Amino acid sequence: MSVFEQLRGTLAASLGVTPDTIRTTTRQADLPKWDSLAHINLMVALESTFDLMLEVEDFAKLTSVAAILSYLQSRGIE
Amino acid sequence: MNSESTLVQKALAGTTRGDVLSALGPGRSALTLPELQRLAQHLETLTEPTAPLRIGILHTYTSDLLDPYLHFEALLQGLAPAIYHGPYGAIVQESQPASGLVAHKPQLTVMLLRWEDLDPGFGGAFTALSADDAARLAERARGRLMHQVGAVRGAIDGHLLITLLPPDRGPGLGDYDTMAPVSEHAWREGLKASIAADLLGAYPSSTLLDLDHGVTSLGRERFFDRRWWYTSRFPFSPAGAQDLARRVVAVGAVLKRPRAKVIALDADNTLWGGVIGEDGMEGIALGPDYPGNCYVAFQRRLLEYQQRGFILALCSKNNEADVLEVLRRHPHQVLREEHFAALRVNWQPKPDNLRSLAEELNLGLDSIVFVDDSAHECGIVRQTLPMVDVVQTPARAVDVPVCLDRLSRLEVVALTEEDRRKTEMYVQDRKRRDLAASGIDLPGYLRSLQMEISVSLDDRRQIARIAQLSQKTNQFTLTTRRYTEDEVARLIQAEDWLVAHFSLRDIFGDSGIVGIALVRQTAPDLAELDTFLMSCRVIGRMAETAFLETILETLRRRGVTTLLADYLPTPKNGLVAAFLPEHHFSLRPDGRYVRALDGADHARDIPILVRLADETPALSA
Repeated sequence: MSVFEQLRGTLAASLGVTPDTIRTTTRQADLPKWDSLAHINLMVALESTFDLMLEVEDFAKLTSVAAILSYLQSRGIE
Repeated sequence: MNSESTLVQKALAGTTRGDVLSALGPGRSALTLPELQRLAQHLETLTEPTAPLRIGILHTYTSDLLDPYLHFEALLQGLAPAIYHGPYGAIVQESQPASGLVAHKPQLTVMLLRWEDLDPGFGGAFTALSADDAARLAERARGRLMHQVGAVRGAIDGHLLITLLPPDRGPGLGDYDTMAPVSEHAWREGLKASIAADLLGAYPSSTLLDLDHGVTSLGRERFFDRRWWYTSRFPFSPAGAQDLARRVVAVGAVLKRPRAKVIALDADNTLWGGVIGEDGMEGIALGPDYPGNCYVAFQRRLLEYQQRGFILALCSKNNEADVLEVLRRHPHQVLREEHFAALRVNWQPKPDNLRSLAEELNLGLDSIVFVDDSAHECGIVRQTLPMVDVVQTPARAVDVPVCLDRLSRLEVVALTEEDRRKTEMYVQDRKRRDLAASGIDLPGYLRSLQMEISVSLDDRRQIARIAQLSQKTNQFTLTTRRYTEDEVARLIQAEDWLVAHFSLRDIFGDSGIVGIALVRQTAPDLAELDTFLMSCRVIGRMAETAFLETILETLRRRGVTTLLADYLPTPKNGLVAAFLPEHHFSLRPDGRYVRALDGADHARDIPILVRLADETPALSA
């Protein structure tokens, strides 16, 4: 499974949306369910799915699929 | 990358709730949020019936993030949850007859409070307090808490759980706290005990759920996650959230399902290690050394259950003589013949034995918890007697002593028959009493807060905060209009716009700027309320009324006689649907609201002191 596919699964389960609504171009603003509270549970889910710890300063940047993929890459996950 | 653990894979293969529970075993708090959500999804596909459970949550810190955990734990217990979260910070306010909490008709209400909410004294250093100060602080805190509990208890039926968020650090004096003249730990424990005594004395079906037990099980570092606290006022790590959810749902489970009364136990590899028929008295593991000491510990736990009123029964496939020899003569056997209310030691199928046990004890099968090490026996009982709770004794000896600890139906929640009857009487009593006479004194409570609001008009220094509030506020906002800092600056500058904001202080401190209003004057005597919004933090304390009336008075002094306003509904601002009508605005046929500014003082009884900053004339940049 590619990193994107894993991320898509995590986003879908976390936000309660179907996987097909998530594309590489998807941003927080595109999904009404991705509000500030859902964002927190998403950060929690990302941490366990990819086995890493996020800093508070990272949360605000991870508001699109592209940003998350780029961040994962910078942490050695690709 | 984390692959799905085998524990979770096994659970996802389960076709009944019992299978899933069994697969997860006692290690449930090790689940990650995605695993838990996947398991919840799986549980939803099972065809076993569930019982609805209506939960109401009142909170002074973020609670919505608990939903996935509550949902999962509820499904695991065969409950279908319907959860209502009150507005942030609203406790006493939600005890009013028209509140969302009352409308939700919860069967279980949970108050998520913090020690800091009970008295401003909690903000300071405990170590600075003398014994007298500490005692006075305890009294004030207890009084305020019981006032809130009384208000809520009077408004809803069902069970009430009160929680106080454990401190996220140890006592100020650390290890030396135990020896201090005024020990913080002892003080908190004492206060909890006095709260419990108050509840026992005054309020049936109301329980102080001590979250400190969660911190003890998980450890402070594991229970809390400071990142979520400081960014979003949610205290818990996933493990902590799961622990809280499990405890809350366990109370719900006891409410909805009959409490277990009988623990029916297998003998071999449950009460002792090994098989008595093959290993003999010398060969079974039961004694001071490993693994026998694990089984001794388990037997001691079972003895405690028996002493608490549970009935123990033996249900074993063995020669009766062999088993009786252990019960009567083994030196390390804790549970003797007299501890078992009934024995079924034979070669009959276990379901038949359980049925005959139930008949002999004159109890329903649904009051039995069956414990057996054999997956086969457990499976048969689950299949033929689905109302029996089945626990498979763990294969690992060290896990045996704790294998019943998490079974919510064995937890002692004081819901005896007498309590249920008392609750019934209480409910009927409440319905007879006039709510106004029952002592809920919202204005008195608000007065005790000694609130003050400071209103400023067209204040350039707060452009950033005003813009930020307009962009972030989704709930308490009439029109959800968003403004950038540049736009706010221009509106402040403009002669025909009034940009007002207010901040709120009370005995707990200063909330900072928490509300804004933007008014456009379209004619010498006519104005429109373009924006009126407030932060969640201060909802329900009449601050919005004080602010609104201050603005209206300001407009009136400027010659405005009529104010138009709109309510633009969104999925998130239902909270303010009635705001305009409640504040003396009438609905026009064109859908807009209007109010005449005639000088009537609608704010006279509001227990809030208003300070209006001197109006600054609009200066050019």
